[in-house]
Formats: sequence, C-alpha cells, structure tokens
Amino acid sequence: MSDEFNPRILGFLCNWCCYAAADAAGVSRFQYPPNLRTIRVMCTGRVDPSFILRGFIEGADGIFTGG
Amino acid sequence: MLTNADLQALEGNAGDFTAKIRQRPRYIDADACTACGLCTQYCPRHHVDPYNEGLSVTRPIHIDYAQAVPATYYIDPSSCLHLQHDTCQICVPVCQSHAIDFSQKPKEIELNVGAVILAPGFGRIDQSTLAKFGYGSHPDVVTSFEFERMTTASGPFMGEVKCFSDGRHPKRIAFIQCVGSRDLGCDNGYCSSVCCMYAIKEAMVAKEHDPEVDITIYYMDIRTQGKEFDKAQQRAEAMGIKFVRAKVGDITPWQNRLQLTYSTLEGGHEFEPFDLVVLSVGFESPRDARGIADITGIELNHYNFAKSETFQPLATNRDGVIVAGAFQGPKDIPESVTQASAAAGIAAGLLEKQRGQGIIHKDYPEEKTDTDEPRIGVFVCHCGINISSVVDVHQVEDSVADMEGVVYHTDSLYSCSQDAVETLKKTIIAHNLNRVVIAACSPRTHEPLFQETLKDAGLNPCLVEMVNIRDQCSWVHAGEPDAATDKSQDLVRMAVAKARKLKPLPAQTVPVTSRALIVGGGIAGMVVALTMAEQGFESVLLEKEKTLGGNLGLLNHTLSSSETAGYLKKLVARVKKNRKIDVLTSAEIVQTSGFIGNFSSVVATTVGKKQEEHTIDHGVVILATGGHEHRPDGYLLGKNSRVLTQQELEKRLAGRAKNRAPDSVVMIQCAGSRGDDLNYCSKVCCNHAVKNALKIKEINPDSQVIVLYRDMRTYGYAEDAYREARLKGVVFIPYELENKPEVYEKGRRLHVKFFDSLLQEEVDLTPDLLALSVGIVPDGTEELSKLLKAPLTDDKFFLEAHVKLRPVELPVDGVYVCGLAHGPKPVDETIAQAQAAAAKAAIPLVKGSVSVDPIVSSVDEKTCIGCGLCVSLCPFSAIEMIKVEKKRKARTIAASCKACGICASHCPTFAISMGGFTNEQINAQIEAFGRATKKETAEV
Amino acid sequence: MGKGMEHRAGAVMVVGGGIAGVQAALDLTELGYYVYLVEKSAVVGGVMAQLDKTFPTNDCSL
Repeated sequence: MSDEFNPRILGFLCNWCCYAAADAAGVSRFQYPPNLRTIRVMCTGRVDPSFILRGFIEGADGIFTGG
Repeated sequence: MLTNADLQALEGNAGDFTAKIRQRPRYIDADACTACGLCTQYCPRHHVDPYNEGLSVTRPIHIDYAQAVPATYYIDPSSCLHLQHDTCQICVPVCQSHAIDFSQKPKEIELNVGAVILAPGFGRIDQSTLAKFGYGSHPDVVTSFEFERMTTASGPFMGEVKCFSDGRHPKRIAFIQCVGSRDLGCDNGYCSSVCCMYAIKEAMVAKEHDPEVDITIYYMDIRTQGKEFDKAQQRAEAMGIKFVRAKVGDITPWQNRLQLTYSTLEGGHEFEPFDLVVLSVGFESPRDARGIADITGIELNHYNFAKSETFQPLATNRDGVIVAGAFQGPKDIPESVTQASAAAGIAAGLLEKQRGQGIIHKDYPEEKTDTDEPRIGVFVCHCGINISSVVDVHQVEDSVADMEGVVYHTDSLYSCSQDAVETLKKTIIAHNLNRVVIAACSPRTHEPLFQETLKDAGLNPCLVEMVNIRDQCSWVHAGEPDAATDKSQDLVRMAVAKARKLKPLPAQTVPVTSRALIVGGGIAGMVVALTMAEQGFESVLLEKEKTLGGNLGLLNHTLSSSETAGYLKKLVARVKKNRKIDVLTSAEIVQTSGFIGNFSSVVATTVGKKQEEHTIDHGVVILATGGHEHRPDGYLLGKNSRVLTQQELEKRLAGRAKNRAPDSVVMIQCAGSRGDDLNYCSKVCCNHAVKNALKIKEINPDSQVIVLYRDMRTYGYAEDAYREARLKGVVFIPYELENKPEVYEKGRRLHVKFFDSLLQEEVDLTPDLLALSVGIVPDGTEELSKLLKAPLTDDKFFLEAHVKLRPVELPVDGVYVCGLAHGPKPVDETIAQAQAAAAKAAIPLVKGSVSVDPIVSSVDEKTCIGCGLCVSLCPFSAIEMIKVEKKRKARTIAASCKACGICASHCPTFAISMGGFTNEQINAQIEAFGRATKKETAEV
Repeated sequence: MGKGMEHRAGAVMVVGGGIAGVQAALDLTELGYYVYLVEKSAVVGGVMAQLDKTFPTNDCSL
C-alpha cells in the first residue's frame, strides 16, 4: 500500500474553537485519518501568511487553518 | 465541595448559621482515585445508568461521565454486591492505587456559615401524568430527557435516534408540548418556560442527524420569548419542522406505529401516525422541596417552589437564606446563571465585613533566572490505558533522546495525578530543567495544572509546552496504532523544537480603580448601585432624565399585584441617602477611554442652561440604559384617541375617570413586534395585556375584552393570571402574521377587522378602546456601543459575552449589562439581573488588580515604523499609538489584549510578537514538521 | 455566643451543585468568600451535564 497517496497536512488550530473541537472529537471518539500535524495558536488571526508558505516549503501537501 | 451530602438542619441566624450535613460514603478514597476506570471494567454487576436516563447500563462502581467533577469514581450502594450481599470485592485488588475502601461510614459535618444559597434545581413530572400519553405502556413514547441523551453523540446510542420497539430509525417524530405544564390535572398550573426551546433544539438536532425525518411539534402557544429565541424557531421552521397548534388527546398503538389523536382550534379532530413520540415534559418542584423548606424554614408557594416576591425575587422569608435557579421558579440556563450570580452578590453584601477571610493564599518559591542553554525535560503520559493502549509511549519517549537540548525524558501512568505532579516538581529541581514538554491530554484543560507545578518548582509558568496525544491522537486513531505513534512522535518533536525557543514571560497585574460607573437610573441601575454599595463599593449613577425611576414610574402595579409607586419611592430614597452612591441627573456620557480596572469617562450634565463636564475614573461600567415603548405605524396610534398602548391604558385604568374601563375593549398583541416592525418578542406584553384585562374586568365586570394574539406568552406563574382572565370571560383569539388585524376609521367609529379562527370567519368590531401591545425598543445603545466598542445584536440590544454562561458580561472586559438594555424583560427578572451585574462587576474591584495573561502581544519599538495598521485592525482596541522620541510607535495595552495575534500576523516589519507564540517558536514547529516529513519521504 | 459583627462567619453554604449552585459558588469564591458546596449526588453539574448541545466544560475549580 506504500504507493497510496498519504498526504502530510499541517494544521493551525485556534485554541478557542477548532482546537477545542478537535478535543471534543476525541472525547466523542470520532475517528479520522492520522495525516494531520497540528500547531495550536490562540486565534487564527495569528497565522502569518509566511507560516503557510514556510509550511509548504517544509514539504506539507496541504495546510489547514481552523478558526 | 461536599458531594453525596444532605443538609440535615440549619440553625442560627443570618451571619451566623450552623448547618448540619450528613455525607454518605463514596467507598472510594477521592485523593487516591486516578479515574483510570479499571474498577468499572472488572465490576461484575449491572447498574441502570441514571445519567443516561436509564437508556444504558453501567456498573455500581462508576463515574457518571468523563468530565465529571470531582473526577472520582463512586460506588452506588443500591446495586453493589458487597454492600448488598457482603460478597464480591473484586474491585479492591484491581485498583492499583488502593483507593477502594468499604470501611467508609457516613460522616456528620457541622458548618459555620454566614449565608445560605438554595439551588436544589427542579424535580421530574410524575409517571402518572406521563402515562396519560402512553409513556410506560408503549416503548416508542419517550421523554424529552431521554431523547436528549439519545441524540447526544457521546450518549448511549452515539447520537443515533431509534425506536425502542424494534430499533428502526423513525421516519416521523411528534413532539407534544406542555406535558406536566399548564395542566391543572397534575396541579401544575404554571408554564415551565423551557420546553418550547428545548423541543425546538432537539427537533433541529434530530433533523441534522437525519434530514429526511419528518417532525411535527404540537403546541398550545410557542413560548420563545427569550432573547433571540424567536429566531431559532424561525430557523427550525425553515428546516422544515412543522408546528401545529393543537391539543393531543390520545396516543394509541396502530400497527407498528403510534396513532396521535388531536383537536385543533377550530374544533376538528385529526389523526396522524408517528414512529416516535417525544413528550416535552415540564419542570416539577424538587422532590424534596417540602424537606428543604422544613429544614431551612423557608416558605413555599402553592406549586411547592420557593416563595418569592417581585421586588426581592431571590429573598426568602428567612434572612440570610437566598434562593436561585429553578427552585425559585421554572427557568432556563441563562436565567439560572443570572440568579446564581445575583445570589452570590446578595450573600457578599450580607457578609461584606468578612470578605477575604478564610481564603487561602499560596506562596511560591522565587523564580529562577533564565539561562540561554535549554535543558528540556520530556514527560510522556500513558493516561492509564487511554494513550498507551494505542500509542507506543516508550517509543515516543525514546524518540526525543537524540534531540538537541533534551536532557531528561520519562513516562508516567498519570501525569496529572497528585503524586506524579509532585515527582515532576522534584525532577525539575533535581535535573535543573528549565523547559518542560508534557505529552498527555489537552492544554485547554491541563495546562494550568502544569503551569502551577512549574511555579512550585521555581520556574516561570510559561516554560511548559503541552502535546495533546490523547484527545487529538490516541482517541481518534484507535485503529491505527502505528500511525498514531508516528503522529505522537512528530507532535512531540515539534513541541520540543518550540520549547527550545520558549521565553519566560512576566506575570502582569494592573491596579483597579475601586469605583463603578452605572449608566441609567431606572430600576436596574438603582439596584446595581445599591447592591454594589452593600458590598462596600462606590458608584456614580448617571441618569439622562431629571429624576431617577425610569420605566417603573410609568407602571402602576405588577401582575402579581405588587404596587410599584411605593417601592419606587423607597428605592429612590435609599439610593439618594446612600453615601457610596453619587447620583448625576440630566447626565450623559460623552467620552470614555481605558480598559478594565482603569476607565476614565467624561460626563456632561445640564442644570438649567448651565452645562458642566465631569471626568470620572472608574474600574467597571454597568450599562442599564433601559428602553421605551415602541410606537408602531398602521394601528392609528396617536391618530385616533381610542387607540392606546398598554402602558397608557394602565395609567388610564389607575385614574379616576368614570369611563376608564368601557364596555368593549380590543387588545392587539405583537402590534409592531415579532416580524412586524420589530423582529423580536418583547416578553412582557402578554403579561401586560392580561394584567390590564383583569383590571378592566375588576372595574367593569360587564366589559367585553377581546385579546387578539399570536402566542400567549404568559410563561412561568403568569399562566395563573392568563387562566384567571379566561375564567373571567376575557376572550383570546389567535391570529397569524400573514393575516394581521386591520384597524381603520369610518365616520367617528374605530373599526378592528380580523379573521376569527374560532368561528372561521371575518369579524368587524367597533370597540370603545383599542389597546396595543407594542413591544420595547432599547435606549441609546448605539452611541454607547460605539463609545465602548461593545457589540450589539441585530435588534440593537447589547450582546452578552456568552449567551448561556456569561449573561450579564459583555465581550469587552469590565463592561456589564442589565435590564432592558440587555433585552426586554419584566421587573423581577430585571432586578435579579441587576443584582447579578453588580456581583460580577464587584469581582475586579474585590481583587484590587487585574492580572493579565502573559500571552499578549508586544511591540519592538526599534522595528516598529509607526504605520498604525495594528491599531486599526485590533478588534479589542488593545493597541495605542504613542510618541517615543518624536516618532509614532505602537504599544500594546496588555490588560485589553486577548492574544488573537492579528496585529502580529499583519505587521509589515514583524515588529509585533506574541508571548508564547512568537514567530521564532512557530517557525521552529513548522521546521520540525518539515524534518519529520523529509525523514518519512526518505523512508518511502 | 453574641451576634456581634465579629462573630459572623465568613463562609457561605450553597445547597445544590447544578448550574445555579456551581455558578453561585464560583462567583462567591471570586468575591473573596469561602464556599461549601453541598450536593446530594456524587458529582456536581446537575441536569445541564446531561444536555447535549449546550454543555460546555463547566470546570468547577473550588
């Protein structure tokens, strides 16, 4: 199965909503694919466009901002 | 906190009570229990789970739900084999922390307290009432509580709605309103005031789960009178949920479904088949209400709820005993929260002299100075088996060994348990760690705990970084242990990279000006001022008119026939006499600046022709600006002398004019409200109409009073008055918004033409008087909203910080709201809300300083070019421009900063940094992500 | 024991650990009072904890 596309996704999650929702997903034991690596921020307002560019430079296949 | 505890006796007086408490044993040592859950797995006995409304089974030894407080398991003695039959005890050796203790005995505790707040909640409607609707005899008739658990994703069916009879998914669901409410058959004449809302909510949730499901709500009146509630009902209708005004007579099994028989307003009988029937059960008084009353010596009303009075809604007949929540009368969450805060404020006023006694202050060791050389310790948590059953904890832990700066790594069964925290503290000191990474659960719940530990160990609390490998890893990737371990490793490595760059941040505190500014001198503002004064705080009370009093001066009596004038006079006198209250009349606020604890406002007053300006420093602002009657067009209001508002009618009825209550009166409800000119319900008009109708009947029993209404919203105990009005011959006829009554003049007569839904025909009347229930609009909220940057709702009322949990606070810190400025409401609710606002506003004044979360923005003056972009973007006005050596520079007002980081991400010169989330730190995380990615790509 | 001001106890007892009781207790601690929260069942939270959509984490840190 190694030829299956397995994207690496970098996520910026807002502490108050998306990060909280990700916690809630855990509490409810929702299952989702393990491709996401997350960075917690206090608000997605913090996400500088340069972070996103850098994420792609560092090899991310996709970037998720949740806020 | 005493759980499993019953109040046995209450002796003494206000200020010096002795309470006797009996605490039943938990059979588990709360300090030792780590809530691992092993005991529940081994316990052989089943126990019906009341938390899930009996829809599932648990074990006698259990915890109600994962987030329960205290987070300690307990044994229900009613089904435990050992406690019932002296056998078993399997759990005792299973528990690794030896927490199970069957030798525990009930404890008698005596407490010395100054005040008592009773908040025992509500009881459940009796089974016999539910049985009339087939509950108990047919499995597919459920209560709304059961349905709530059913739709809950973490509930017993994982949110799946199904019929109990055969497990099929229902295609058609009926909700029946007013089960156990507005029903003299079960002695509950009152309206429970919450069922319409939760029925709509549950119906919408069910519809979200399955958009195909067909839902009908059978109701008498839809009572969504609360703030923004009508809009939710409109959304429900837009989703396709049907609302039918009908009384359900019978529910009978029919094939494998349920047949509903109901009668409509026109007198027709209809039948309709459903798969599932949900009973919207009301609130009963608490089951032990009588006992509580006997123990505490308080009086109950005729429905067995606590007896209360309009002008002191939370007081009981016993001094020092205060009541709050549903026991005071059926109510929803925001109302309960408001009353709770109000009760706290009243108690604080009673015990003003004792404030601060008995509060324990904690000392911390001095903070070590930070060195540049990072010495990172990594702690990976098993969380019992929550993490370690999926993630290979040891592999994660070992993977950081080669990372730069990591000098220590270990694992622990429960990082948050008391002994683990103690070990963590010792480890930090022993290994001279200066950065800590904890891979466990969510920082949202546990970061404060570990920050506290760092402080105990002499480190700055900002030097800890948490990695969430439970909620966001092991729990959500349960079937993929390798991938989950891999993800955990990456996340931990990213956190270590960030930890290397962590900087200690100073805790900041700002002193507070111990004075409140209250805008509005109506009943709300005056109650706030007095409640603040009782707690020992000064306030300045602004009133734009020449005299205090506001709308209450326009009323004559309340629905519960309390006379208003006398109360108002006394209240004004108390305010004027109080030395802690400074009253400014003919006053308006023209400018305000500052932030919580440190506001400064300019107030203009007019005396005769003389205008004066006063500058007032204050720590908090309470907005009690009130409202006034709306004047709708299209009803000849102000054009025909026979047309009055309810307020004008009340005044007329209180006068002495001979013909003040003529022989024929028509009232039109929602004139200008609920989608007419105003979009919302004003909550008080139905009560007002009923009150005036009763008064007319009292003066002139032969008068024919017709009330044209959309929904009669006489919620709570006001239902009694509504029933009384009907008994006395007042005629209530519903109309639809699309078919509004028409008001016109012909000759000298006033005509009201409407469609009588009872007779099913058009009726044209020529009443002597037409009273309009016109609704309430807020005063001056738009100006204040701009001054304070406090947001408004679409309807121009102030928007609270959290609709349910922070109902009197605004999103701007240090600004509070109460009364009509928050939303239309009757006198008793206004008073409770004012008391709540006073309690909340007193909190920063009590503390004397505002502590600021160190995660705030900071501007590097050297790189700042003074462009001001950040100032214009900041949603909290937390950045100001200052002059530094004649150059414009931005500066953060730490106390107002909410750490959103918008300024930092937009600064063109990267001059702004966020404490704990610096560019450097986040970039380090991204790079660590990158290294992991490259490693993986190399492997493939 | 006299009923003078000095003898007044500076603590408040809250009976009931539902949302109203918990909120009153939290506010009182913030206002500088010691609170005894007396709850008849084994956990605080009351009925609100059973609700699906409105239930946020009501962390009761007394």
